[in-house]
Amino acid sequence: MFRYIIDRVIALFITLFIIVSIAFCVVRLMPGSVYDQDGDLSQTVIDTLNEKYHFDEPIIKQYGYFLKNVFLHGDWGTSMKMRPNVPVFEVMKDRIPVTLQINLISLFAAIPIGLAAGIVAAIKKNTIIDHFVSFMVVIFISVPSFVFATCLQYFVGYKAGAFPIIYDASATGMAALHSMFLPILALMFSPIARVARYLRAELAETMNSEFMLLAKTKGLTYAQSTIRHGLRNSMVPLANIIIPMFANVLGGSLVVENIFSVPGMGGMMVDSINASDHMLTVAILVFYSMISLITVLIVDISYGIIDPRVRMGGKK
Amino acid sequence: MKDPILEVNNLRVSFRTYNGKVQAVRGIDFKLFEGETLAIVGESGSGKSVTTKAILGILPKNSIIEEGEILYKGDDLTKYKEKDFYKIRGKEISLIFQDPLSALNPIMKIGKQITEALVLREHMTKEQAKKRAIELMEMVGIPRPEERFEQYPFQFSGGMRQRIVIAIALASNARIMICDEPTTALDVTIQAKILDEIKEIKRKQKLSVIFITHDLGVVANMADRICVMYAGKIVEVGTAREIFYSPAHPYTWALLSSMPDLETKERLFSIPGTPPNMIFPPKGDAFAERNQYAMQVDFEEEPPFFKLSDTHYAATWLLHPNAPKVEMPEALQHRIARMNRKEGV
Repeated sequence: MFRYIIDRVIALFITLFIIVSIAFCVVRLMPGSVYDQDGDLSQTVIDTLNEKYHFDEPIIKQYGYFLKNVFLHGDWGTSMKMRPNVPVFEVMKDRIPVTLQINLISLFAAIPIGLAAGIVAAIKKNTIIDHFVSFMVVIFISVPSFVFATCLQYFVGYKAGAFPIIYDASATGMAALHSMFLPILALMFSPIARVARYLRAELAETMNSEFMLLAKTKGLTYAQSTIRHGLRNSMVPLANIIIPMFANVLGGSLVVENIFSVPGMGGMMVDSINASDHMLTVAILVFYSMISLITVLIVDISYGIIDPRVRMGGKK
Repeated sequence: MKDPILEVNNLRVSFRTYNGKVQAVRGIDFKLFEGETLAIVGESGSGKSVTTKAILGILPKNSIIEEGEILYKGDDLTKYKEKDFYKIRGKEISLIFQDPLSALNPIMKIGKQITEALVLREHMTKEQAKKRAIELMEMVGIPRPEERFEQYPFQFSGGMRQRIVIAIALASNARIMICDEPTTALDVTIQAKILDEIKEIKRKQKLSVIFITHDLGVVANMADRICVMYAGKIVEVGTAREIFYSPAHPYTWALLSSMPDLETKERLFSIPGTPPNMIFPPKGDAFAERNQYAMQVDFEEEPPFFKLSDTHYAATWLLHPNAPKVEMPEALQHRIARMNRKEGV
């Protein structure tokens, strides 16, 4: 198991290195330069900046400087446009908590609801309850989150006036939670539906398995056999979809954050690309990739924890 | 004879399907006596498994018990609700499954699967339950039970898993053990061992056993009495000796002729055709289509049971006083003669 984790971590860093390299080159190859929107910069200033940041040298050389800084000093560069002369991770530091907060709350609220809906649908399979759940699942999955976001904003925020239309960054405590409510809700629909759909299918299949029958014939009640044998066995494949959701909601929040004016990572990524703030774009890409890679790593490791067949695979 | 411990009277079970109602069991009667092994033999789809599932109340949702009763200790099990079955499953009647590979929960430790019911229902402490489980594992012939207790099903071979399933079935001291083709999924050498194991346990624990199989060879050494089932009906019932030495129903003849023994030199008999469609069961004798001895009456009217002895009954018109005299197939006659000779020696 230890050996396995080490292997995965090494693979993670190799993948990350490749992503960084591609991101660095692709971002530089985009048309436009850092100076485009500042027409009044004097040639002296430009020359000085070029000398400091090596913008006039070939990409491959710039890449060399970049890697040197990252590996020797842990320096991912400085932002040029968004917040000039501030290290990129310094810029992101203010944004990450907001994004993480909204996404994690929405996901942690969504998973129990999804699980409950999936269990009910599986146990009451082919009844009106199951059909209702399945119907909602289809709607939640097929309608994109920004449509829900706009609808919520209009009906709940504007018409009913129950919650603020846009996110209030200065609020604290309960007020902050209150102002985050709509974006959180908008992000919850898709995870709820996906968890519910998956669990319904898994559990319905597990309920038909021979070992459920054995659990019954050895004298467990319906509830006991469902919880002890049905649910736990359905959870094994479920880990495979829940954990990557963390990566997915981060991507999904890009649009929703913009709708509710949440000062999170999503908005900043778009802004940094528009402003040709290269170093910042690369840093944000690294952040997103890192999160995806870590979730994949967690999925692999969690399989070993949940499923003894994987855990013990190595030592018979 | 002793009192019957379990009695099935005129049981009819159907399944609702998109194509219509499948009549899986069409009115069967049998009695299981205290301490005996009753074998129910028949080919796939003859309704033998359905019968046992009805006894334990684990029929699939689309099934209907149309009529009949299953009497156990004076209670009719067909009237039981799910929560009533909870009291008899495992404790009074337990079941051994056909496929030990899929009958155990793959991600739960073996020990826990055995002790589970003891802890949850018998309210034993974990230590008591573990002690009992290890005793059971020893009894079914699992070496190093303490170590095995902590392992998972995937670390066990097929035969070992079947032993675990038997241990689970024995855990709550059930009085009736139903074995639903317990050796079908195992290879032949393991088969013999498991059968011996079951026989031994049955003797020690004084169990009554219902043994379901399609293989007459398997029951030859196990069964006290045998019911032969075809198309949802019992066609012949008798003691093991009566079924093997003086079979009366053409279907039993066919089954016996299609079973090899060590001295068979003739080409083995195979029953022509396929079992009837149970959505529209044939009028008359269901076996008539495939029966080389079928008479006109077989296609028109169902044969009643004809009594051959106090324990031996067969449902075939051939036994009617007006029927022409028909001898069983020659190969079978030779075999029975051979068996008799051997016994004489």
